[in-house]
Amino acid sequence: MTTPSGETNSVDLNRFNQVFFEECAENLAEMEQILISLGDREPDPEQMNAIFRAAHSIKGGAGIFGFNDMTVVTHVMESLLDRLRNQEIPFAPEMIDLFLEAGDAIAMQLAGHREGKAVDQEVIDGVRARLQQAIDAGGRATAPGLPADHAEGAPPPQEELLPRRCRLAFTPDPEIFARGIRMESIISELAELAEPGEFHSSARLMDVPELAEVDPERCLTRWEFTMLTRASREQILDVFMFVADEEQLQIEEDEPVDRRTPEGEPAPEQGIVPAAGRRAYDSNETAPGAFGRRGNETEASFRVNVTKVDQLVNQVGELLITQAMLSQIAVGLDPILHETLQRGLVQLERNTRDLQGSVMSIRLVPISIVFNRFPRLVRDIAAKLGKQVELKTTGDSTELDRGLIEKIADPLGHLVRNALDHGLETPETRAACGKNPTGTLQLSASQVGGRIVIDVIDDGAGLNRERILAKALECGIPCSEAMSDEEVWQLIFAPGFSTASEVTDLSGRGVGMDVVIKNVQAIGGRVQIASEAGKGARFTISLPLTLAILEGLSVAVGEEKFIIPLNVVIESLQPKPEQLKSVNGREVVQVRGEYLPILKLHRIFNLEAEVIEPQRGILVLVEADGERGAILVDALLDEQQVVVKSIETNYRRVEGSAGATILGDGRVALILDLPELFTMHKKL
Amino acid sequence: MQTAQGSAVEQLTADGGAEYLTFTLGSESYGIDILKVQEIRGYDCVTRIANTPAFIKGVINLRGVIVPIVDLRIKFNVGEATYHEFTVVIIINVLNKVVGIVVDGVSDVVALPAQSIKPAPELGASLDTRYITGLGTLNDEMLILVDIEKLIGSDELQIVDSTVDNTQKEAVNL
Repeated sequence: MTTPSGETNSVDLNRFNQVFFEECAENLAEMEQILISLGDREPDPEQMNAIFRAAHSIKGGAGIFGFNDMTVVTHVMESLLDRLRNQEIPFAPEMIDLFLEAGDAIAMQLAGHREGKAVDQEVIDGVRARLQQAIDAGGRATAPGLPADHAEGAPPPQEELLPRRCRLAFTPDPEIFARGIRMESIISELAELAEPGEFHSSARLMDVPELAEVDPERCLTRWEFTMLTRASREQILDVFMFVADEEQLQIEEDEPVDRRTPEGEPAPEQGIVPAAGRRAYDSNETAPGAFGRRGNETEASFRVNVTKVDQLVNQVGELLITQAMLSQIAVGLDPILHETLQRGLVQLERNTRDLQGSVMSIRLVPISIVFNRFPRLVRDIAAKLGKQVELKTTGDSTELDRGLIEKIADPLGHLVRNALDHGLETPETRAACGKNPTGTLQLSASQVGGRIVIDVIDDGAGLNRERILAKALECGIPCSEAMSDEEVWQLIFAPGFSTASEVTDLSGRGVGMDVVIKNVQAIGGRVQIASEAGKGARFTISLPLTLAILEGLSVAVGEEKFIIPLNVVIESLQPKPEQLKSVNGREVVQVRGEYLPILKLHRIFNLEAEVIEPQRGILVLVEADGERGAILVDALLDEQQVVVKSIETNYRRVEGSAGATILGDGRVALILDLPELFTMHKKL
Repeated sequence: MQTAQGSAVEQLTADGGAEYLTFTLGSESYGIDILKVQEIRGYDCVTRIANTPAFIKGVINLRGVIVPIVDLRIKFNVGEATYHEFTVVIIINVLNKVVGIVVDGVSDVVALPAQSIKPAPELGASLDTRYITGLGTLNDEMLILVDIEKLIGSDELQIVDSTVDNTQKEAVNL
């Protein structure tokens, strides 16, 4: 074997490892979600099966990919689950915590393999021992003389079939060895499914090339297995998980040996039936529990590397710019002479927009991905703090950009931790205040205009104005008694601020809220706080819907062009002289009884504008974060979709801009950030 | 021919020398490490950015990427900052950033052995000696070798924002 091919193989294997890691993480997450949703209730059979399937898939995958350490905990866990499922052991509420810990142990091992993080073997051994204890204890509590099953766990009663003869023909992919699959482990797994002494296998070579051309890594063998088994078809297929495609495996089943059709299970079909596919994108795969997958997975989907999606988004962005450029050129052409061209361009614009919509929707994911992490967090923290908390989530299906989801999880976690630690009171205090001893923490998400709004609401004590002010003074943060409540609340975002009287291991180290605001601002978001003493607090994070594309109004100021996000624009007008007033030297415009400050872009950005007098230019009325103003520009140019580009990739943050875009003529234009513009205007 | 070049490069790396792209600012000759240079292009379509020092000319669109442009003539206070069709922008790639620098003209790529590079004297000029790796001599002409990475990363130039770390920037990196 030459070195280059060896390298390719290891890369290939790596890719499969990644698939396993992702699946494993998903299975763990699903398991945890079910366990948390149970509370202390006993799982119903369907939930039990789902947990079992998740554990089984992890174990199976870990075995195939050679992560044998991961099979250890999963194996014991699976055995316990199996006993529970078959009602050989009575359910106990402590088991939920035990399973959660086991899940954590597996997650730790996964992180160990995936990111090379340290694995605490003691924890793993501890969890394993306790799982084993639960099995033994339960085993003694019920009938001790249960039939000893083989390690794989007995098939559940409803799937139990009478022994019947199966013939399997497996024609593997020639690359199977290169993928790191070991036939001997498949064969031994199959043998375990068979009745004792009723398993035969034979191997046949096919199309053997000349000796000189034989590649020892190519699999040219075809296997045939004959076995007498009680295992269901799914269990047999499970053995070939990750190994065979549907056309590579044929299963022929005889009628059960004693000719009785087992209850609840239709007679297996006669003759050779191609096995159902085992790929996630196979639409045939709807049978619950098939191949250890989730039973409720109805929509076909497949995994795509994130970088590929990002590349696609970028390319669509470039296409959008090119399309804008073509449209701009066509404006100067005679519409009668170039009618077909114009028609084509209109068509092109429509198509690009459709394409852009579809591509952007790929990036949108429901916020439930983040919300689902919190039940566990809340449960753990509440237990640690001795508080009673009920977590409610609403708007789980609100979609936002994948990039944002990842960035918002940490700040949101901080806010949740903070609400639990500082916001909600202990059950005794709550009862003393005449409140329900169980506090409520609500997470809600919704889409408001072009933004996503996420609320973290608790019904705790609320923020304490005096304490915040005193603390701010102590930390040397500029503040005064005259500040409004809103301004006082914002103080908690100052670096180094913490009001917690003692530092706990959850929060109170004074690094938290300033990180929250920094992270949220980095993705174009803002945090607002509302609080009422004794009633609770509400933290509102508002984020842009997507970071990639924006509807904008392009305006001209002198030589430069700017983009005003369309969602802040109310209207634009040419002011009449009588509408223009001056307040303390600052120019304002009166529109329908309201006085709005005039923001002169050329002054804010130090530009040479054609129009300096408002009555000669155009005022664009805007509203952002409850603040209104009128932006003075020379001319309105166009309303267009712009691709948001980062200036910060190669340069620093530019004050007053929320990014930049590339116009049809290839020039760069800044996208205005209204709240910042208001602040800059006030400083002038 | 090829082998001769190969051995020359080997020899260079062996004694600590490197290849430099040389350019002129006014009447002075400068050199920067060729490995930091991405491409060379003309000067056009620069979008101004408000409230920046004069040597930051603005940003340009480099095939979909927004790149800041620094005029080294203004920064180093040499020559005259005029812009015409022969004005050259050297696009450099340092510290994971792409930055364009405006120069009067690009001259050559030269290999300088380590022993021909002498330390620069303390001059008190606007170009701080911190950013000069040394003075090279080539055909009796002096070459000012600039540590472009240090220069771009410096606080003076205000290109690298020290307050926001890189991980957060990627959020809007599209």
